[in-house]
Amino acid sequence: MISRTGLLSLLTLCAVTLLSAQPSESTVYASVISTKLFVVGAANPLTGLFYQKTSEDTVWHHTGPRNIRANGMAVFQGSKGRLLYTASGNGLHMTTDGGAFWRITTGWEITEVWNVWVDPKNSSNVFIGTAYGVYKSTDACDTWKQVLRGFVSSVIVDHSNSSVLYCTTEDGVFKSTDQGETWSRTGLSINRIRTISQHPSDPMTLFVGTEYHGMYRTSNGGKTWIKIEAGIDHPTFFTIAFDPVEPRNMYAAGYATGVYRSTDGGYSWKRSNKGLDIENLRTVAVDPANPKRVFAGTYGNGVYRSDDSGLTWRWVGLRGAQVGKIVIEPS
Amino acid sequence: MGLILQMKTTAIVLLVTMIGCSGGAQDDPLFATRRARLLDVVSREQEKSPYVIASKIHKGVEIDRAFILLDSLTYDKGIGGMFYAYSLIGTYLYTQDALPDSLKQKVRLAYQNRMMYRGDTENHWVMYYTGLYLAAQTWPNEPGETWFNGKSSEENLREAAGWLNEWFRISSTIGQGEFDSPTYFITFVTPMIALYEFAADPVMKAKAQLMLDLLFVDFAAEHLEGNYGGAHSRDYPEDIINPLGAPSTMWAWLYFGEPRFEQWEETRFRPRNRGGWEAVFGALSSYRLPAIIRSIATDRSEPYVHTETKRVRNVIRFGKEKNPPAYKYTYVTKDYVLGSLHGGILQPIQQHTWDVTLASRKPYNTIFTLHPYYSGKELGMFFPEELKFLSDEVDRYHLVYTNPGKWNSSSPYEQTFQHRNTLLILYKIEKGVMQPHIDGFFPKNLDERFVHSKGWVFCRLRDTYVGLYFIKPGEWTEEPVNWRWRSPALKNGVIVEVGSESEDESFQSFQNKVLSAKIDLKGFDKETSIRYVNRHGMEMRFSFDGPRILNGKQINLTDYQFFDGPFVQSVRGSGIITIRYKNQTRVLDFNKATIQESH
Repeated sequence: MISRTGLLSLLTLCAVTLLSAQPSESTVYASVISTKLFVVGAANPLTGLFYQKTSEDTVWHHTGPRNIRANGMAVFQGSKGRLLYTASGNGLHMTTDGGAFWRITTGWEITEVWNVWVDPKNSSNVFIGTAYGVYKSTDACDTWKQVLRGFVSSVIVDHSNSSVLYCTTEDGVFKSTDQGETWSRTGLSINRIRTISQHPSDPMTLFVGTEYHGMYRTSNGGKTWIKIEAGIDHPTFFTIAFDPVEPRNMYAAGYATGVYRSTDGGYSWKRSNKGLDIENLRTVAVDPANPKRVFAGTYGNGVYRSDDSGLTWRWVGLRGAQVGKIVIEPS
Repeated sequence: MGLILQMKTTAIVLLVTMIGCSGGAQDDPLFATRRARLLDVVSREQEKSPYVIASKIHKGVEIDRAFILLDSLTYDKGIGGMFYAYSLIGTYLYTQDALPDSLKQKVRLAYQNRMMYRGDTENHWVMYYTGLYLAAQTWPNEPGETWFNGKSSEENLREAAGWLNEWFRISSTIGQGEFDSPTYFITFVTPMIALYEFAADPVMKAKAQLMLDLLFVDFAAEHLEGNYGGAHSRDYPEDIINPLGAPSTMWAWLYFGEPRFEQWEETRFRPRNRGGWEAVFGALSSYRLPAIIRSIATDRSEPYVHTETKRVRNVIRFGKEKNPPAYKYTYVTKDYVLGSLHGGILQPIQQHTWDVTLASRKPYNTIFTLHPYYSGKELGMFFPEELKFLSDEVDRYHLVYTNPGKWNSSSPYEQTFQHRNTLLILYKIEKGVMQPHIDGFFPKNLDERFVHSKGWVFCRLRDTYVGLYFIKPGEWTEEPVNWRWRSPALKNGVIVEVGSESEDESFQSFQNKVLSAKIDLKGFDKETSIRYVNRHGMEMRFSFDGPRILNGKQINLTDYQFFDGPFVQSVRGSGIITIRYKNQTRVLDFNKATIQESH
């Protein structure tokens, strides 16, 4: 027997839940490089690009080519529709019709594409980081031009100024102020940089993760860098993510780290691994539509999800997958 | 009379410029027999292999069964990628006249619906782009929507031709990265056979022929009775310890006529699941091995030194040079081949830096040592993934990478210095390195193996003799097919002397000469250096990271040519390879896509 007050409360709760759930439904994309389930001599388990609605829990759908060593991906919602990109060993795959038709946009000259970044203000400008350098397209991936040589692990376009780019390489962090045409090394003297992430509202603040030397922070666009020490017990970081709404909340992960969490803008960190069954992670992403919802891509056991800003985690599918990149697209 | 005189006093020169014409003559009357035998045997196999299918259809054996196998190949999701890309189109092209239209359509659709992964090694790309080239040529004028990669037939043909031409250029000027591999030889020669057979463009066909000649003469110069002798860029460990079991043996048998038996009747020579029967494409092809190359492969009347410069696979990290040179020295006799790479990391995972391969029909006919090194750094030189994930990843594919007892490995702590049938190997392993020991492989089926009181290990197999002197002590353990010698000394070295009855008369005489050689180790503990005067009185001075000095004269590895030896000569970077045997010459000119013969 439910009292009138109780029934009212329940209805109110349902309404609030429905209202809050409706706008926060997002699409989660996960690029899967390979899978630990692969056995030499057997059929390859399905890999490539997967996606799910955030309400779908452990259900994932596959789109695009399979088994291409999908290291990275990007999504761009433009006036002409959604563009999807997959950075892979075969080159850069792209679809302009939501996934019905995919095309490799690169030729034999470009291989081992590690990640892709689309200019948020002009989707004709696309940059890819590869084992052999940075390549740039200004015609929506029809043609490519090499603009930097060397092993590049990531490249990003400054969200406040499309002329500015940063890339991380084996030889340090490089910056371009002319849309990638020329590059100069920033003030960080450390090598073997794996990832870079830009503060969502303060474009001069960036963080990098390194192979051997933990994380560094700059607050002046790369001129000077400070090593982050507080709470950090591991040397290798492959991913750093901001809460886009409350950027003081940050997440970082890498080799044997589990998830590190910061609530003070990256000055201090704590590990937050409750529910994680694996400590090797390659990517973390925060849902812009609901920043408490965080996804972590592991190197060997698919995707984990947190609904409480990274305090607890649960596995949500792609068993065995080595996840290269997670990108979340709000509806 | 004047004409006859001119013929007597002037070399008869026959100059043939060949663009797109068939291969040179093969005066090997038994080739046709071997070819027929191979097709006969394979046509009665039942495995789902493109080569079995091609054989069955060619021979008219169980054709319905062949169609079923081919049909299943077109939808079997367990098969894909670059191996599939070229073998499926090759099989289609060899058998298309017999295929029903429905099956032809299924093969076509496989190139639309199945993603062909390009891979990340040289052999992967050769297979991928050969397959793509032939498929795009077979189905021209078709839009991107009908291809797995979204590119039109013309775009695919252009891209594939672009890369193949680049590969021809690199392979003929600075060498292959995956060079001289008994395991991977099939992944280069089989696609090139298909390309030669079916390329419609006469220039592409001519280049495929040039490449086939180059692949075969590269093999022939280091070949001994079916063995791919000397050092190898990369090999599976089972092929290293049992050279006649390697996939290259079947090609040696088909084209060189050695080893002189019907190998498939012996279980140990049966192709393994990961390879096998690729030689069927050769048997079906109109390519004929030039007689001059077969002569080079089989004439072992005189010992000779053969040197080569190859290249390291693309270095993407931990190195300034993308493709540093790899220097190779090989001494070939009728009884053995002793060969070495100069040392260091020249290939990831599967390098085979040195061995002596003994002429024998017994399995496990080889002796060698190695440092079984592994590190994320080594893998990071060549693979883009995160360094700390790489070792686990590679272990999943190659199974043995982190195994301390593995039989294939490069090492930054290993260097060699070879002069004819004497080889010095130095090891200088850093403290803290994983697997800090060196191992030696000695087959159990040697006729003799004993440790002499003066420290030399003497081995004999038939009339071939090997002596090894280990500078630091080790221990012997017995394994199923071999004895393993292992030393934990971080600084170590091995002196290798190889001889034979024809060179040293008796085994005892060989031992006496070797025991009289002078070993000077005064500088070893401090500088990892050695001075050695071998049994022929040649003084060799060698120190790790130092010069190689022979009779007081420094050997500059950079002086090595692309090919140098009695049979093959080429200046590095020239793109011109001259093949010689007695009074015959065959010049492969990759720049002009021509072959010139004279005799």
